[in-house]
Amino acid sequence: MLYIVCALPIEAKSLVLPLSLRKDQFSCPYETYLAEDHSCVLVVSGPGAIAASAATTYLLTRFGFKNDQDFLLNFGSCAGEKGGLYLIHKIIDQATSRTFYPDMCYDLSVSGLTLSDERAVTTCYQVVSSLEDSDMLYDMEASGIYQAASRFVPPHRMVFLKFVSDAGIVEAGQLTPEALKMCADTHATTVLKVMNTLRAACTPIPTFDEALYNQTALDLCASETMSHELRQLFRYALTSDQDMENLLQTMKQDGKLPVSSKREGKVVLDEIRQHLL
Amino acid sequence: MKSDNISYNFPFSHIYVEKQAADHPLTKEILSRFKKSVVIPIDHYKDVFNRTHQDFELQKTAPALILAKNEGASVFAGSPVCQDFGNDHFYYTSCARGCIFNCEYCFLRGMYGSGNVVIFVNLEDIFTEVDMMCRQHHMYLCVSYDTDLIALESLTGFVSKWSSFTESHDDLTIEIRTKSFRKDIYDICKPCPRTIFAYTLSPQEVIDRYEQKTASLSDRLEAAAYAISKGFPVRLCFDPVIYFRGWQDAYAALIHEVAEKIDLSKVKDVSVGSFRIPAEYMKPLRKSFPSSSICQFPYENRNGVFQYPEAQQREMENTLVTLLQSLISKDRIYRAEF
Repeated sequence: MLYIVCALPIEAKSLVLPLSLRKDQFSCPYETYLAEDHSCVLVVSGPGAIAASAATTYLLTRFGFKNDQDFLLNFGSCAGEKGGLYLIHKIIDQATSRTFYPDMCYDLSVSGLTLSDERAVTTCYQVVSSLEDSDMLYDMEASGIYQAASRFVPPHRMVFLKFVSDAGIVEAGQLTPEALKMCADTHATTVLKVMNTLRAACTPIPTFDEALYNQTALDLCASETMSHELRQLFRYALTSDQDMENLLQTMKQDGKLPVSSKREGKVVLDEIRQHLL
Repeated sequence: MKSDNISYNFPFSHIYVEKQAADHPLTKEILSRFKKSVVIPIDHYKDVFNRTHQDFELQKTAPALILAKNEGASVFAGSPVCQDFGNDHFYYTSCARGCIFNCEYCFLRGMYGSGNVVIFVNLEDIFTEVDMMCRQHHMYLCVSYDTDLIALESLTGFVSKWSSFTESHDDLTIEIRTKSFRKDIYDICKPCPRTIFAYTLSPQEVIDRYEQKTASLSDRLEAAAYAISKGFPVRLCFDPVIYFRGWQDAYAALIHEVAEKIDLSKVKDVSVGSFRIPAEYMKPLRKSFPSSSICQFPYENRNGVFQYPEAQQREMENTLVTLLQSLISKDRIYRAEF
C-alpha cells in the first residue's frame, strides 16, 4: 500500500484524479482519499510541519503501515532556484538544525528521476523570504513528516518528492492556485511512475502457518518457554525449506501428538528439534 | 527486504561526508574516484549509520559510503568470543565499519544494523593511540574485524599503511583477516613476521549460500599461497564452521583441497571455531533476517553466547581438528574457547 501525504488540496488533486481515489466517507479529522482496492491512501495535512506530522501519524496508525510492504510518499511544493521535481536525500529542520536522511537505495531513473534530480530540503516554519543557498530547496512539511513517520517507517520506505513552485516570499505571494495546480499537474505523471516503480518493491516476507503453530503449542501443552522454542523451530523449518506440516502430521499419525502433559510435551518438542537439525 | 522486481542504485552511489572529514586528503582522494556519486554533507556519521529501522539486506544491495573522522578511543579490548591466539594483550580497532561483502552470519549485522560502509579517514590518529599503547606492553591487534580491509585497499590504502606502521613498531603484532582474492597487496607490502594475513576458509557450498560477494574458495587459497610464497605469515581460519546437512563431507573436502593447494608446513597457524554470536546481537539479527536459516537456527544460549547445541558443536569442531592434526602440528591449531 502507498501512503501519500500532501499539504494542500491542490497538490492532492493532481494525484487523486489519475489514481481514481475516492474521498473517505468515514468521519475523520483529515481529508482522506482511498483507492477502491486499498492499494493507495492519501491524506491532506494542511501546511506546516506540525500539521504534517499529526496527519502522518493519523494516516499510518489508522491504516496500519506494514514495514515490509508499504511506502510513505510526500508530494508537495517547495521554494527553490530552479524549477523541476526533486527527490530529497536530506532534510534539515530549520528550527532545531536536526538532519534526517531517507535511504536512497532505489534507482528511480526509469520513472524519470536520476541522481542529478536529488536535493536537500530545509523545512522552515515560515515562508522563506529569500533563498540563502541556491542548491537548497525550502518547504514547510518534510521534517515533520519524517520525524513522525520514523517511529513506524524505515528510512528506505520514505520517499519525498518536491516540486519547485516559487523562489521565496515575493514569488509565493504572487502564486495563484491555478499556477500551483498547473505546476503540480506537470509533475504528477512522474510521481505516478515513481509509485509504480515502488509498488514492485512491495514484497511481503514469507511467514509460517500461525494457526498450525498455535494448534501445535496446544497439542504439546506448551509452557511460555516451550512456545518460544517451538516458534523458533517453525521459523527455522521455514528458512531451511523443511516441511513442518508434514512432520507434525506424521507425528500425529504415530500417536505422538497431542500429548497429555507438559512433561510429555517436552519430549516431543525435543523430537521435533532432532528431526529438523 | 530486497526485491528482485526493482532496480537499485550502484554501490556507493551516495557518499555521506562528515563536515570535519571533508578536508582530509583521503576524503578528497576517495571522492575523486566517484565522480558519478551524489555527495551529501553530514554533521556526524552516526546521523546516517545509526538510524533506526534500517534494512541491512537492502543497503547491502546498494550500499552508501560514509567518510568520517573517528574521534575518541579507537582501540578496544578483544571480545572473549574471538580468539586471542595465546596473546596476553589482545585488542581490535576499527578504521572502517561495515564490509563490502555480505556474509549471512556476520556479527556486524547485529552490532551495527546498517549495511552501509564507514571509512574513518584519520588513520594517523589511530596510529598515535596504538603507538602510545605499544610503549606499555606488546600488543596483539586485529585491524580488520569490523570490515575487510584488503577488500577496501584500493580505496583506502590502509593495509599498506598498517603494514609499514607495524614494521616500525617491534611491540606490535597485527592480524588482517580477509575473504578477498586480492594478491597485489603482497607485491606492494614488505613481509613482516608481525603482520599476519588471516584467510577465512569455508566450503564452496557455504560461500555460495552464505558469503555473498566474497572470493571463491579457490581464489582465497590462491591468494594465501601467493602470500606464503612471498614470505608473509599466513593464518588459515576455519571459523566460523557452519552447520548444514552434509557438513561432514563438505568440510572434509575443504581440508583436502587446502592441503592440496597450500604448503601447510609454511602456514603460521590455523584456527577452528564453530559459529557463535553474543546474545545481544542475535535478537536484532532474528528480527531483521526472518528468511535466514543461520539466524533462525535454534541455538543454545550458553554464557550469553548463542552457539550450536553442545554435542553438535563438539562434533563439528573435533571433526575439523582431527582432520587438521594429520596435516599440521597440534601446537599450531587454535580452538575457540570461551
